[in-house]
Amino acid sequence: MDVALRRKPMSEAEEDLSKIREGRDLSFFDLTSIDQVSLKDLALLYDVARRFRDYRTYKFSFNKGYSQVNAFFEASTRTQASFDLAAKQLSMDTTSVGSTNSSAKKGESFIDTVETLSAYNARAIVIRCSQAGAPEFVARHVAASIINAGDGWHEHPTQALLDALTMLDECASEDLSGRVVVVVGDIKHSRVFGSLVRILKKLNATIRVAAPETFLPDYVEKFGVSTSWSVEEAIEGADVIYALRVQEERGAKGDIPTLREYSKTFGISAKRLALAKPEAILMHPGPVMRDIDVHSALVARHPQSRILRQVENGMALRKALLWLMCDRADGATKSYELL
Amino acid sequence: MSTLLITNGRVIDPSSKRDEVADVFIVDGKIQEVGKHISAIAEKTIDATGLVVAPGLVDIHVHFREPGREDMETLETGSRAALAGGITTVVTMPNTAPIADNQTVIEFIVKRARELDLITIYPAGAITKNEAGSMLAEMREMKNSGAVAVSDDGVDVDNPGVLLSAMEYAKTHDMLLMNHCETPELDESGVMHEGWVSTELGLPGIPEVAEDHGVAKGIMLAQRSGARFHISHMSTKAAAAALREAKRAGLANVTGEVSVQHFALTDEECRGYNTHAKMYPPLRSRDHVDAIVEAIKDGIIDALTTDHAPHIEPDKIKPFADAARGTVGLETSFAVMNTYLVKAGHIPLSQGIALMTHKPAEIIRQKKGTLAVGADADIAIFDPDKEWIVDEKEFLSKGRNSVFIGKKLVGKAVHTIVGGKVKMSGGKIV
Repeated sequence: MDVALRRKPMSEAEEDLSKIREGRDLSFFDLTSIDQVSLKDLALLYDVARRFRDYRTYKFSFNKGYSQVNAFFEASTRTQASFDLAAKQLSMDTTSVGSTNSSAKKGESFIDTVETLSAYNARAIVIRCSQAGAPEFVARHVAASIINAGDGWHEHPTQALLDALTMLDECASEDLSGRVVVVVGDIKHSRVFGSLVRILKKLNATIRVAAPETFLPDYVEKFGVSTSWSVEEAIEGADVIYALRVQEERGAKGDIPTLREYSKTFGISAKRLALAKPEAILMHPGPVMRDIDVHSALVARHPQSRILRQVENGMALRKALLWLMCDRADGATKSYELL
Repeated sequence: MSTLLITNGRVIDPSSKRDEVADVFIVDGKIQEVGKHISAIAEKTIDATGLVVAPGLVDIHVHFREPGREDMETLETGSRAALAGGITTVVTMPNTAPIADNQTVIEFIVKRARELDLITIYPAGAITKNEAGSMLAEMREMKNSGAVAVSDDGVDVDNPGVLLSAMEYAKTHDMLLMNHCETPELDESGVMHEGWVSTELGLPGIPEVAEDHGVAKGIMLAQRSGARFHISHMSTKAAAAALREAKRAGLANVTGEVSVQHFALTDEECRGYNTHAKMYPPLRSRDHVDAIVEAIKDGIIDALTTDHAPHIEPDKIKPFADAARGTVGLETSFAVMNTYLVKAGHIPLSQGIALMTHKPAEIIRQKKGTLAVGADADIAIFDPDKEWIVDEKEFLSKGRNSVFIGKKLVGKAVHTIVGGKVKMSGGKIV
């Protein structure tokens, strides 16, 4: 497609975004892990995402003519809706496949399903699945850009990107040096943690983890975090409290006696929140289990809660990612090998 | 009378403590003489100058998939792959389809092996019916049909009561009981070794304690029953320590093997979600690998095996958690031992060959793995210094799923002789 033809004439908003972008490109063609994201990539993503955020639901024509497939083999509300809306606000055509209506039910292999979706000339395929590493594996073998929207217990990179944006906005600084982020809950089964810990390290945050031993994966301290069995101790003087949901569907059930006891020992209450710095913020990737992970009154209305702000940032961030990935200024294409 | 003379090779026959340059003279499929400058005239002579002449290797842990999954491997292709690796005797695990838990399947394997006339195949029968871990299989019938051991390989006999009964019954019929020691309730549906790598990759881990617990349970019951108990593919520090302690305590009925990949490679191989590195027990972290090497050096380990596990490609090009488990190994096992144990300076070549010849043969009580006068003339001739890169396209096995693909190994079989007949030469089946 003639990119120049598609772009003209640019609206004022589009010219504004293009000016912010300054012809920059990301260093990666697929996003499967935060490990791929450099500080330069982060700066670019956040410059663009913040400006997209200002334009709210304005419909840009940047990705017109490109298609996106949302392949969600596991349940999702916010991630799927936000990827879909983000693509549509960039004028992309989108379609969705899921586990209940996919050919996987007929015995098709994962790689064949994704190769087929790619053969529709999809520019981007957003994948959520139960198997860690599956997005990375298929990314090597298809033309489309693969975006990992959560793979097993491994990673959920766009969630971490939007979370770090939320934290950076709060601090109004370039990185998170000197900031204490406490992650509370089911670390072991959490792909959100997998990406979050990687991005927080990149941004030099001090990371504490509070969870029962059964929720801590082996050698978690090698990520550069300190661990505690006491949520009070961990929260003391923190800048950010990041609560995670107990992943009952991913095997957490046998790791705690009851949600009731978990809530009493690790749930974020107003009393516990008060142990953090007065200006500390409360975050959660959703879906929240009210009164289990986070006490109900703290979820949406509480002045320290940023849970809905995270959702809003998610839209802007995903829009930035899709634009930068699909519409490269240098025109480069990814290399891959069909299986 | 058919004769074969192998001249001027470095003859390493640990069963007779021989490691010297000598000739080997074979008459009618048996070893006639081993010595310096044998002057006999033979129909065929092989000049083994600069090469190692050893007993044909004995691998007591392989999967040949026949009957049932001939698309993965057959008794024929498995045998050809064995010959390419210098292996002349194998014990096949019973998890075929149907499972070898009865005399019919054992008889089929024995008969088919005889027809093929490539290598010696000793089948292992199952410990329990359908490897389900509840009812004992007919061990006596299987033994009379040619089975040399029983094993529920692939799974532990989880119920200790059943395992104890199985040992007592196996003892009654002087049957060797091999066990895959890995307590399933402790493996948490893991797909690789639980450690830093599994945490980074976000893959469910198999904690080492699953194996430790299974090995400890097995040794305890072996002590109680007095059965000949063999621990398959050991891979952890505590498993090695438990076997060390059992031997120190004088439990002569307990033996253990290590599959060559478990002393050669670590769980780092799983990075990039490399499904060729997926196996059970899993590749372990460096501290375990080091402990296993120590146990080999100290003579605690009784045999080296491959756990040769061929798979079709579609079962390996999958997300890691969904992929089939296991690696092929027949065509690389000597080279892996030579590279990672001998060339790495851990043990002399003769010790490595002992662990792949007469020592495993003694476990299954067969007169194999020796160049003693009168023994079957099963011989492997190796070039111990040949460097090569593992290329799965050159395998004779149907399985292309090797965890060693692309790795540089040292040492390769040049000729393999079974019953005095040259069956493999220069990588080609004769």
